Amino acid sequence: MTQTDGFVDQSAMGLAEPQPMYKALRESTPVFRSPRSVVLSRLADIEMALKHTELFSSNMDAVDLGNVRPLIPLQIDPPEHAKYRRILDPLFTPREMARREPRVTELVNEMIDRFADRGECDFHAEFAVPLPCTVFLQLLGLPLEDLDKFLVWKDGVIRPEGAQGHQTHGEAAAPAAHQIYDYFERAIEDHIANPRDDVLSAMIAADVGGQPLSREELLDTCFLFLIAGLDTVTDSLDCFFVFLARHPDHRHQLVEQPDVLPSAIEELLRWETPVPGVARVAIQDVEVGGCPISKGERVSPLLGAANTDPAEFPDPEFVDFARNPNRHRAFGGGPHRCLGSHLARMELRVALREFHRRIPDYEIAPGVELTYTRGLRSVESLPLTFPVSTP
Amino acid sequence: MRGRAARMTRVSVDADRCTGHGRCYTLAPDVFDADEVGHSIVLVEDVSGELEEQAVVGEQNCPEQAITLSR
Repeated sequence: MTQTDGFVDQSAMGLAEPQPMYKALRESTPVFRSPRSVVLSRLADIEMALKHTELFSSNMDAVDLGNVRPLIPLQIDPPEHAKYRRILDPLFTPREMARREPRVTELVNEMIDRFADRGECDFHAEFAVPLPCTVFLQLLGLPLEDLDKFLVWKDGVIRPEGAQGHQTHGEAAAPAAHQIYDYFERAIEDHIANPRDDVLSAMIAADVGGQPLSREELLDTCFLFLIAGLDTVTDSLDCFFVFLARHPDHRHQLVEQPDVLPSAIEELLRWETPVPGVARVAIQDVEVGGCPISKGERVSPLLGAANTDPAEFPDPEFVDFARNPNRHRAFGGGPHRCLGSHLARMELRVALREFHRRIPDYEIAPGVELTYTRGLRSVESLPLTFPVSTP
Repeated sequence: MRGRAARMTRVSVDADRCTGHGRCYTLAPDVFDADEVGHSIVLVEDVSGELEEQAVVGEQNCPEQAITLSR
């Protein structure tokens, strides 16, 4: 097994620090044919793949998550894709997210209240996981009491047990997927009967040229939201706080210069790229960087590698909260640019602002070795210790 | 026209490239704004001085390279 093989295999396991792997891949084989897919690690090639949806599709052949129909809007190609984004984009603009910010601020503080006086917490279980899930439930107008149930199903779809054995990921995820479809079916019925100010009601009320979204289209969008909106933000929070716990100088900047926070979040998104890559399938024979890719081959544009490409980012290993310009691709690009990017930014901004306001100093509990999860970049547990402020 | 107009820079956004990352209107809010789907609208087409500095920040931070500044 070559060194690159080893690296790419490891990335399926969850690398603590993937940046050396990105560099090694990009410098040795920027278009690398692994057993699972062709891995792209150069910004220019990744940009091209994201933009040219007529060459690289994100349809159901790109990845199998147990969904029975294409997830909307991710697994729909242009031109049909635009019809769905036209309905959904207005619900997720920065202005819409700003409307929801006060409630998210309350939520974050409620979560911090539960451990602020304890001097320690498992940041992953007590903050990084429940925060985006709770925001998600609120945004869609779902009962907050459903949180625990929701977390179990979500994990059942994204990280099903048995998927590493003989079953495909899709087969192992099917029971949880079923529960999720059922749950959203009931939620949609409830929202039709009692419309309110939330994203689900807006989606039910929307229409494209006089046609509302069908029941199946609503379900397929909800399913995507679940897959795309929860773990991604959890991963971001985990990665960011591991970094900040280990880099007190950076953490102090956030405390001493609060205005740097939005720019710091962009730089942390660049450096950590919590969603390290996306899944595509070639729908035509195409050549990338001199390497032929056949129609039907899966392709993995490594966003984390794009974000550390020195061709775009001078001194890419230097985490500079004032970095400008910073055209990172942590949210992808092209037509499938992450629909939830402004929601994610708002959650991250509120989380980092409020946490550092109340707990400016913290460290990873001494002696702890962090275990990263498969595929996406989160940790199984993140024990933090911090001084307790006296009243 | 000479004088002031000759020193202005024209700001334009390619709507086909814009996918609503929102960096421009977040970083350069006096030059760019968001339409109802979160795509970029140019508020001030001809800029100089401080507005031009903002426009440059917007242009340089667009992941889709959808903004053009022409002089």
